[in-house]
Amino acid sequence: MSTSKWDVTFLVYRKKGQGTPHYDEFTIKVNPDEYVLDAIERIWAYQDRSLVFAHACHHSTCGACGMRVNGVEKLTCITLIRDVTADGGKVKVDPLRNFPIISDLTVDMGVLYTRMDEVGHRPVLPLSEEPAEPGVKPVKIAAEGDIIRLADCIECGLCISACPIANTTSGYLGPAVLAGALQHGLDSDQHLFSLVEGENGVWRCHSAFECTEVCPSYVEPAGKIMELRKQVIWKRIFGIAK
Amino acid sequence: MNNSISPPKSGQNTWLWFLKMVTGLVIVLVLSVHLIVNHYLPEGGLMRYEDVIAYFSNPLVVLMEIIFLVTVVPHALIGVRSIILDLNPSKGSTRLINWILALVGATAIIYGIWLALTVASLA
Amino acid sequence: MSERENKPNTSNWFMWFDVRHRDIGDWAFVLHRLTALGLVLYLGMHLIVLGTLTLGPEAFNSFIELAHNPLFIFGELLVVAAALYHGLNGLRVGLTSFGVAIPYQKQLWYVVMAIAVIGSIIFAISMFTA
Repeated sequence: MSTSKWDVTFLVYRKKGQGTPHYDEFTIKVNPDEYVLDAIERIWAYQDRSLVFAHACHHSTCGACGMRVNGVEKLTCITLIRDVTADGGKVKVDPLRNFPIISDLTVDMGVLYTRMDEVGHRPVLPLSEEPAEPGVKPVKIAAEGDIIRLADCIECGLCISACPIANTTSGYLGPAVLAGALQHGLDSDQHLFSLVEGENGVWRCHSAFECTEVCPSYVEPAGKIMELRKQVIWKRIFGIAK
Repeated sequence: MNNSISPPKSGQNTWLWFLKMVTGLVIVLVLSVHLIVNHYLPEGGLMRYEDVIAYFSNPLVVLMEIIFLVTVVPHALIGVRSIILDLNPSKGSTRLINWILALVGATAIIYGIWLALTVASLA
Repeated sequence: MSERENKPNTSNWFMWFDVRHRDIGDWAFVLHRLTALGLVLYLGMHLIVLGTLTLGPEAFNSFIELAHNPLFIFGELLVVAAALYHGLNGLRVGLTSFGVAIPYQKQLWYVVMAIAVIGSIIFAISMFTA
């Protein structure tokens, strides 16, 4: 039993209030097939009760446990320790970038939620409104009723953290929000259209594709931004609504 | 299309980006021709004053150089503007930057056209 | 809520160029921006230097003397390499921005790099042996 356990040192970002940020080291025994979040919970439970982090569902649905693991944005609840380190190795855990830090690993994503509301993104949709994906036939709904599916985006903020533009411009709407804006299409809403093509909209993206790289939910925000660009160009330059 | 409903600033960004794409494409085409014509057709390239003057005596060359100039200058300055926007300037600074870049662009284009026509007239 | 005036933990502009832990798309973006800045600088110098043409043969030819310096030729090679990369990656950005080949943006970048590197080598050979 014990031979299958790994000794792993977690370098955990710490910051309280106006205090100076630093890293605390916690070395614990882990099963390599546990997830990073499991280890962080155990550090909190047995070593330091003042460690602050956010999580809820443990199965990549709530979007609360986003952190940077060895510099890369991950949902820690589905990130296997085996995939990010080795026996005797280290794992560096940082809070997401581009959000205000509340405490340690927890950030304030209020601005993301506000913007998602502003573009009218709905986290859940009736199945009949499921966005058509290439190669996938739309689901025929046999009976009347509200069969609800979750929209792909879980508002975890990983894409905002990974985006090099959000890194210097807090006003930039950001990948998740722009992807959310595509949910309805741009035709219906003039306010949405001006948000999307405005100074903090789609033209600020510089095609680094990092958002798509880290998205845990296959939203592919970069692709959505490009789709928006196409729609805006058609409408604005050629006067054709697509 | 009726543009009056949305704030004018928005359309401006779309047009600027579109202009950057179109000029970019023109630059790729013109620059390919420019590099080949400039450096490979004359033996050893355009390395002497007389060679350059003779080269510019061809009106097609002058036209090509001017097309290059009027596409590359806006492309470069729109690009610089978008990099500056990523530095999160205030609204006031953005306006100032727009004016400065427009002035620089106009100067560069007028100077460049004058230069091309002057050199062409030396032949 | 009034305590929430905390600034986002964003960083400075030089973090644009930090590609640690990032993927291909970010490398493409960083190189695109660096070459853009280099090319803008070159464009300005190019316009000014060509101004010597109007001052007569001596002024221009004395500049061309300078241009035979290997260090100068290396600088020119950098310009050619930057232009090749920026132009080709610009096509990649343009295509993907109009919805073309988005799932293949990484492969496209490898193609861009391959052509840019091979092109630069060809230019290097012809420039240094001329």
